[in-house]
Amino acid sequence: MKKISSNRKKNHLAWTIALVMAAPFACASDVNFSGFLSVGGGMLDDEDAVAYGGYDEEDLTFDRNLLGLQVSGQINEKVTATAQLIARSNNDYEVDAEWAYLSWQANDFVKVRAGRLRTPFYMYSDFLDVGYSYAWITPPQEVYYLPFNNVDGVDVYLTGTLGIFDTSLQAYFGSFTDDLVLSGAPADAETRNQIGLSGTLGKDWWTLRAAYHQADLTIDVTGIPISQTATLGSFVNTLRTFGFNSNADRVLVEEDDVTFAEVGINIDTGRFVAAAEHVEFDPGDAILSKNIREYVMVGVRAGDWLIHLTAAKAKDEATHPETGIPVGQPLPVVGSTNFLIGTLQAIANSQAIERDVLTLGTRWDVTTGTAIKFQIDDIDSPDSVLVDGTVVSGQQKVFSVAVQTVF
Amino acid sequence: MKKLLNSLAMIFVLATANVALAEIAVIVHPTLSVSSLTEDDVSRLFLGKAKSFPGGTQAVPINQNEGSAARDKFNESVCKKNASQYKAYWSQLVFTGKGTPPKDGGDDAAVKALIAANPNMIGYIDSSAVDASVKVVFKVP
Repeated sequence: MKKISSNRKKNHLAWTIALVMAAPFACASDVNFSGFLSVGGGMLDDEDAVAYGGYDEEDLTFDRNLLGLQVSGQINEKVTATAQLIARSNNDYEVDAEWAYLSWQANDFVKVRAGRLRTPFYMYSDFLDVGYSYAWITPPQEVYYLPFNNVDGVDVYLTGTLGIFDTSLQAYFGSFTDDLVLSGAPADAETRNQIGLSGTLGKDWWTLRAAYHQADLTIDVTGIPISQTATLGSFVNTLRTFGFNSNADRVLVEEDDVTFAEVGINIDTGRFVAAAEHVEFDPGDAILSKNIREYVMVGVRAGDWLIHLTAAKAKDEATHPETGIPVGQPLPVVGSTNFLIGTLQAIANSQAIERDVLTLGTRWDVTTGTAIKFQIDDIDSPDSVLVDGTVVSGQQKVFSVAVQTVF
Repeated sequence: MKKLLNSLAMIFVLATANVALAEIAVIVHPTLSVSSLTEDDVSRLFLGKAKSFPGGTQAVPINQNEGSAARDKFNESVCKKNASQYKAYWSQLVFTGKGTPPKDGGDDAAVKALIAANPNMIGYIDSSAVDASVKVVFKVP
């Protein structure tokens, strides 16, 4: 699933907030501008094998560029307005307001924010776009694969100490509407009643993190092609024609109760760095697979250089939307129920990803505020067979480079 | 020529000695009820993990400008981060609205003047620049 374009409608709220915020900026005494930039690209080792990370050519292309600008203005002692505008090369540099919120610092320990926020799915969610703040060019995509990164809503962010430990707790409620591309077809997606909680516990050089989220997820999957003549929508109609309504419902993603859980650890002693995260997405009754993803990263700093090694794994479990259909019953037109069962299993299996990726990377801090990064990803996944019978190797290597700054 | 080399060598010795020996004083307004802080207290204030002095007075940390020797030494020995790590640490908080880094207050003299004029501020300067207008609450040897 990959986000390709932004829906202008979804930005209305964000832009309204941005405009409302612009007014106080005119007279605010304390307005801060800050920004970040990432310019990068990469190439594949073998363009006949599986594509990875958005790269499908053996020639080096520089098409991973993004520019972010954050404006934040102090409205009064307790209230701040912040907007983060991001332009990405893979979105034709169209400017998106990915964050736009008002925050109220109730006291030293409690902050309440309302507007468009980053969903705290992962350890690096908050600064996902700010490559300068972490070791990789981008965090391991086996784990950082969710297509929704933002939520329109409210959150409460608490910080404090628990004995000798530093703790934080973030709880939010909201919803999001976006358009995705699923298996090559556009699909509108939305979450409703999205609610989540994330907490951290840390001391000096280590931080533990856990998060849990749930939402009613709707994705219009009916336009997804399942063969040269049929779409998922027409197949659902076939199922209904034969009376398998509950199976038809399981193919559609309509207000399905989905959950996402994460645990992670981050270590930075100055000399050594390490991070690990494990996530699980439970699709409820939807045909999406149960995603089980994780990575472990270790690294060492030497002067201005950081060398790191990451092992990432995707080991999804396919769902069983065919449950309840009797085997081998003759049916008009399609032959027998085995055809329906086979098709359902194939759709479910196509949603489950199995992949191991080993990443070796370096970060070189050229000056304060600018880092140059190199990365090699070694991908190991099962071979796949195209409709015309061609076998596509699941072995691939990706070489990528990026220059990332904050200002 | 020999004289020049000798002078250069002397300047070098003095300069390096100065860097190695320069003691940094963490300073606050003389009226602040806090008489001393631990390294942990100071580090927590400058990393945004604490927003008040022990006792509850609101604390406003002030950095020296980027590139100053005092700032580099302070960040390395108190915050345990070099200039790049310090920048990366704050960029994780700045772009999420979860924190604002200490403001840059200039050099020894400018920071001292700020602290002397503001009862909530905390800063650091070379020990040699300390005078009665500020109070020292911690020393970085």
